[in-house]
Amino acid sequence: MNFLKKILAQSGKLFEEGKPLSFAYPLWEATDTILFSTNTQNKSGPHIRDNMDIKRTMFFVVIALIPCYLFGAYNIGYLHSSTTAVSSSILSDFIFGMTYVLPILITTFIAGAICEIGFAMIRKHEINEGFLVSCALIPLTMPPDIPLWQLFIGTCFGIIIGKEIFGGVGTNVFNPALTARAFMYFAFPTKISGDKVWALVPDGYSGATALSIPANPTIDMIAELAKNEQAINATNLFSLNSMSFDFSTSNLFWGLIPGSIGETNKLLILLGAIFLIYCGIASWRIMVASVLGLISTAGLFNLLADYSTNAMLTITPLEHILIGSFLFGTVFMASEPVTSTHTNKGRWIYGFMIGVLTVIIRSINPAYPEGVMLAILIMNMFAPLIDYYVVKGNIKMRISRNA
Amino acid sequence: MLKIKVKKGHDINIAGVASRDLLATQKNTTVSLSPENFRYIKPKLLVKENDSVKLGDPIFFDKLSPEVKWPAIASGKISKIIYGERRSIKEIVFSIDNSVESNNDIKNQEPFLSSRDDVINFLLEKNMWPFITQRPFNKVANPSDTPKSIIVSLANTAPLSIDYDFTLSSNKDEIISALINLKKMTQGKLFVAINPGEFDYLSNIDFIELVEVQGPHPAGNIGIILNHIDPINSNDIVWTVQGHHLPILGRLFSHGIFDPSITINLAGPAVTNPGYFQSRIGASLETYCKGNLSNEKVRVISGDVLTGKQSGIDGYLGFYHSSISVIEESFDRSFMGWLHPGGSSKYSVFNAYIGSNKSPYNFTTLQNGSHRAFVPIEAWENVFPMDIYINALLRSIEANDFDEMEQLGIYECDEEDVALCSFICPSKTDVGGIIRKGLDTVYFD
Repeated sequence: MNFLKKILAQSGKLFEEGKPLSFAYPLWEATDTILFSTNTQNKSGPHIRDNMDIKRTMFFVVIALIPCYLFGAYNIGYLHSSTTAVSSSILSDFIFGMTYVLPILITTFIAGAICEIGFAMIRKHEINEGFLVSCALIPLTMPPDIPLWQLFIGTCFGIIIGKEIFGGVGTNVFNPALTARAFMYFAFPTKISGDKVWALVPDGYSGATALSIPANPTIDMIAELAKNEQAINATNLFSLNSMSFDFSTSNLFWGLIPGSIGETNKLLILLGAIFLIYCGIASWRIMVASVLGLISTAGLFNLLADYSTNAMLTITPLEHILIGSFLFGTVFMASEPVTSTHTNKGRWIYGFMIGVLTVIIRSINPAYPEGVMLAILIMNMFAPLIDYYVVKGNIKMRISRNA
Repeated sequence: MLKIKVKKGHDINIAGVASRDLLATQKNTTVSLSPENFRYIKPKLLVKENDSVKLGDPIFFDKLSPEVKWPAIASGKISKIIYGERRSIKEIVFSIDNSVESNNDIKNQEPFLSSRDDVINFLLEKNMWPFITQRPFNKVANPSDTPKSIIVSLANTAPLSIDYDFTLSSNKDEIISALINLKKMTQGKLFVAINPGEFDYLSNIDFIELVEVQGPHPAGNIGIILNHIDPINSNDIVWTVQGHHLPILGRLFSHGIFDPSITINLAGPAVTNPGYFQSRIGASLETYCKGNLSNEKVRVISGDVLTGKQSGIDGYLGFYHSSISVIEESFDRSFMGWLHPGGSSKYSVFNAYIGSNKSPYNFTTLQNGSHRAFVPIEAWENVFPMDIYINALLRSIEANDFDEMEQLGIYECDEEDVALCSFICPSKTDVGGIIRKGLDTVYFD
């Protein structure tokens, strides 16, 4: 260890102010403090500090995502082998999936690191670990065979436009990972939307996602339901689809369904949520509020479903929670501290509105079946406004006390 | 009796808590009065080096309010006056002459103080006014102000701070005498904050408003208590006296003498035998630290570990301080410390380490991480028990938005109230420093 420390200390001299490599100081500093904790001293009071720092905070979010990666890889393999009827084992499925997940992961991190380190060098600040979380989140929102060049451009867009131009972590308005995904959603729609991209299945196989079934029920499905005198609602449509994928409620939870890499297994997402809340990193208020918002809106839509032919209105609150990436978005994206609201009251409002908007976008506008991404981005935009009014309330209270 | 139950906050489990024992020690030979302990004053000296002074003689006054003078905190000689940058006065060091000091013990008659003006004039005449401080700004009070109330906190919750129940156990008469006269200075209430079950005799005194404080630090801070019972609005002024100064004021009011002795503690992870000492205002820290430190490389702090001032072993106790805290100066760099699983070598308010926080922790001067842009995870809110949006307030300070600072309650805050926010902040933000910057901005506006 001392040997390593010595190398770092020696090489550090090359990166000092005025030396040829001084432009790359942030890179050296990051390597140095990743290997050995900084020995920066407390200057004035407080003379003692908690051991928690941003490195660990960000790293913990990445830890919470690892199970989603592992399952995501397995799921890619499983869906592939089960639809092609090749014999497989859990391990071979997993390895098959990894051959898709790893390139995506590596591409994202390369793109993210180039942007973050580049900006750190230009702006002469230390590299902020926040980009690790963004880069860990982006692959999980991708379909398995996203072209890597698109991913590279999308990641750069997300990190630069979503974060760096606002001044980096701490001052950004939009969640960088979601900015990246939204950019790709609109820039390269053929590869990141529709029915075909969410599972690696043979041509001709019906690879619909749970969300697209009630959104665009096929004529065959409606005829099938009419034949058996069943109502055209989401649950019945899901069960019809069992020929291709199992969209039963339990399997929606366990996640052996098409979808973006990280979103399908709800148990692992919930475990991640519990972990982050327990550690005090993510806001439970936002998560609880958004689930409440979703349940209440979906419940309301269920009541209105009789007056509409839109099968999306019949999706029950539970199905709404389980299908698509609502849970993933709520747990890992909505609760991102910088771009969400900064007051506890605000967090309730912000979370609730994400739930409401998710259902509205999903149900009323079937062209965008995945509403949670847009819902969070919209609420990112409104978060400062919500905080403004919450803080205004506090100011009013203080003025009235003064009077 | 008012009762406050504070939920937000954290009692830091730091090693080296002083045992309730009064330890023997050598007598101080030098003490120091530092004008730097007093905010927003412009000191003008009334003495020179080598002048002989007696306890309570005026030493310097504030050019901005000349009626306020500072007392000699020892009888003897002014041995040294240390100047800082631009000839600011850093320290006025007294060498104590014990023979002169013991002569001071002649008991005078109890001064007859009937009105508010009497008490204020008496304190000003005796050069004892600097014992009265005020909120907002945490500075020496202005005698011409009318405080809406006066508050004394006898409930110390800061880490390693002195236990008033122990140090003031034999000062009942002096405390009551001090309280009687403090009450005369305000038309409003005189609040006295205590921990539950302590200072029984205070509950029989009808002119004070007793406040029972329960909860983790910073529950015992004056700012937190006021926020709960009598918030400071703009233009409000509340006066306050340090708990350990009550006996000094009591002796002054009942006998007319200035006796600067206080009981202090020496505590912290780097102290071999933490305990209490009979001491005095401005005492030399070396007297207590010498031979009682477990380590060579230490930071000696006058005051507590959250808000105290780094003084060095050759430094002196601050005027308002009553404890000396010593922590190890560590420059350790652990391998991949951010990945550390936990155990007894880590301490965190977050549940981010396995099996940490169980035993008293040896805190060092390590910042435990690099400074980063602030990421507002719900951390500060959990240790800041005021109805103030601290996050928004800090932003208004950084934006230099004078009006918003006022509206968001800057007057109610002081550095000590937000010290825990800095302690737990994963971005290592100096919250107290920013609050002080805001208070300075508002003060000089």
